[in-house]
Amino acid sequence: MFAGPLQRLVDELSKLPGIGPKSAQRVAFYILKISGAEARSLTEAIVEVKDRVRLCERCFNVADTELCEFCRDSRRDSTVICVVQEPPDIIAIERTREYRGLYHVLQGAISPIEGVGPDDLRIKELLARIHRPAEGNEPVIEVIVATNPNTEGDATAMYLDRLLSPLGLRVTRLASGLPVGGDLEYADEVTLGRALGGRRRMSP
Amino acid sequence: MRVENVELEDFRNYRSAHVELAEGVNLIVGRNAQGKTNLLEAVHCLSGLGSPRAADSALVRDGSERALLHALVLRGDRRLAVDMEIRPGRGTRALINKTPLSGSRALSALTTSVFFGPDELSLVKGSPDGRRRFLDELVVKLRPARDGLRREWERVLKQRNSLLRTAPRSKSTALPTLDVWDESLCRVGAALAAARLEVLAALLPYALKRYEAIAGGGRIELAYVSSWIDQDFTEEALGDPDTVAAPALAGMLKRGIDEIRQRELERGMSLIGPQRDDVSVSLQAGVDNPTMLDARTYASQGDQRTSALALKLAEHDLLTERLDDRPLLLLDDVFSELDPGRRQWLGDAIRSMGQALVSSAEPGATEAARAECVIEVAGGKAVVGSARNG
Ligand SMILES: [Zn+2]
Repeated sequence: MFAGPLQRLVDELSKLPGIGPKSAQRVAFYILKISGAEARSLTEAIVEVKDRVRLCERCFNVADTELCEFCRDSRRDSTVICVVQEPPDIIAIERTREYRGLYHVLQGAISPIEGVGPDDLRIKELLARIHRPAEGNEPVIEVIVATNPNTEGDATAMYLDRLLSPLGLRVTRLASGLPVGGDLEYADEVTLGRALGGRRRMSP
Repeated sequence: MRVENVELEDFRNYRSAHVELAEGVNLIVGRNAQGKTNLLEAVHCLSGLGSPRAADSALVRDGSERALLHALVLRGDRRLAVDMEIRPGRGTRALINKTPLSGSRALSALTTSVFFGPDELSLVKGSPDGRRRFLDELVVKLRPARDGLRREWERVLKQRNSLLRTAPRSKSTALPTLDVWDESLCRVGAALAAARLEVLAALLPYALKRYEAIAGGGRIELAYVSSWIDQDFTEEALGDPDTVAAPALAGMLKRGIDEIRQRELERGMSLIGPQRDDVSVSLQAGVDNPTMLDARTYASQGDQRTSALALKLAEHDLLTERLDDRPLLLLDDVFSELDPGRRQWLGDAIRSMGQALVSSAEPGATEAARAECVIEVAGGKAVVGSARNG
């Protein structure tokens, strides 16, 4: 145990995801060493993020106004919605510069172990967007399910497929392929094998 | 394949040790609890599949946060420098020729070993879990691309069990997602069962041959025991693994869980599937008595041991054929448990099985092994004691 304020900082930090008591201590002692200006800048950043950043009312991406940058952008193709689990997934897809449609962030995936069912995700809101496109948007034709390629992501994708396909929408799933920069020569037989197993036809 | 040398750092009781290994049979001698098994275990870890007998946390020397292994592995005409860092709770990092691998388990595509120690008796004598693990690990050794299968299965099973346990008792609307988990369960469960059947079918002829040789006659029978797969299907599959079709298995599992849906909801868990399957091992009652008896209940400890050894040697044979290279053979304290005749037989057998590490606390017991190289282990230090040509 440390003196009051220091212990409080350690306790607060160890509540953060991925930070155990040891790392919390390390970060706390680092903060102790930085200048007052740096410390203020850090606290301001935290406060500002809470004050100014919120979730987009339409797609639940992070936003600084009612709508996020993608929902605001009238040049995006509103007939396609790409469904992801978390906002950072959008950044990964945007980096490819291959996608020009809209997004929908579920804020998680179906996981009974963690007590997360369909009602805990933004699925109702997705259905509402499909049934009643926002003003200026075209009706949705395709939903690309880009949930994570793991057990929970797959289950969520299957659930969405069962829900959306009967509505006459085209529901597609991202093929899980090789990570970019993956080392093909050595031992990535595992990943390569998985990519081969999950291969899909390029043209319908 | 062959390990030319291995360096251990903070691994079990080794602070730091460098061991040069010979081609052929390497004998590891020393009194008990000096680190003989630990050396075999370290070589097994090079296959990326962890220890054959303990969790990662047990591999790190007291007072250290990680264990390091460095080895030079020869595979065909490739020289592979393997570096591993075992960090309990944070996974294992591995490099091949200084290139990081996506995961240490990817090493299983490069180095493969077969371990047989006193605990392997449980392969015949113990609970079904050990036999399932034996098959599942063999699946990975033969087809590294299927590495994720068992873990994916366990994850799906855990999720579905959690849903069966909580959904009927809460007001949640999660129950409709059970269909989705059923579909995952059937798809992954069928893939796992298909992989096991294929591996067991491939192992069967080698097991027959090895058992007959080691037991001096007699027969071993292996069967896949499952409550949800039609018996005709498993029998046909073991005769001809090409008949194994995962979609057919998925259909059987679906029919099975549909039938017991109510009971699964009441019990709050999955009641059928590969998690309950087993392999039965039967032995001929006697050389002149053709009756087949279940080895788990009716065989003597000696017969259980020889049948477990036959399975492991068969694994080595199968891997040798499929990988086009001989896996490392790790025999931990096996000779002392055998009678003189079988020692002689095993000593002769391993001479044609590539590189082997054979540990023993009783020097006399391993004379039959006629080692190329003798490594003396004492207090977590390994010294090449003497070498001779067999
Ligand atoms: Zn938005």
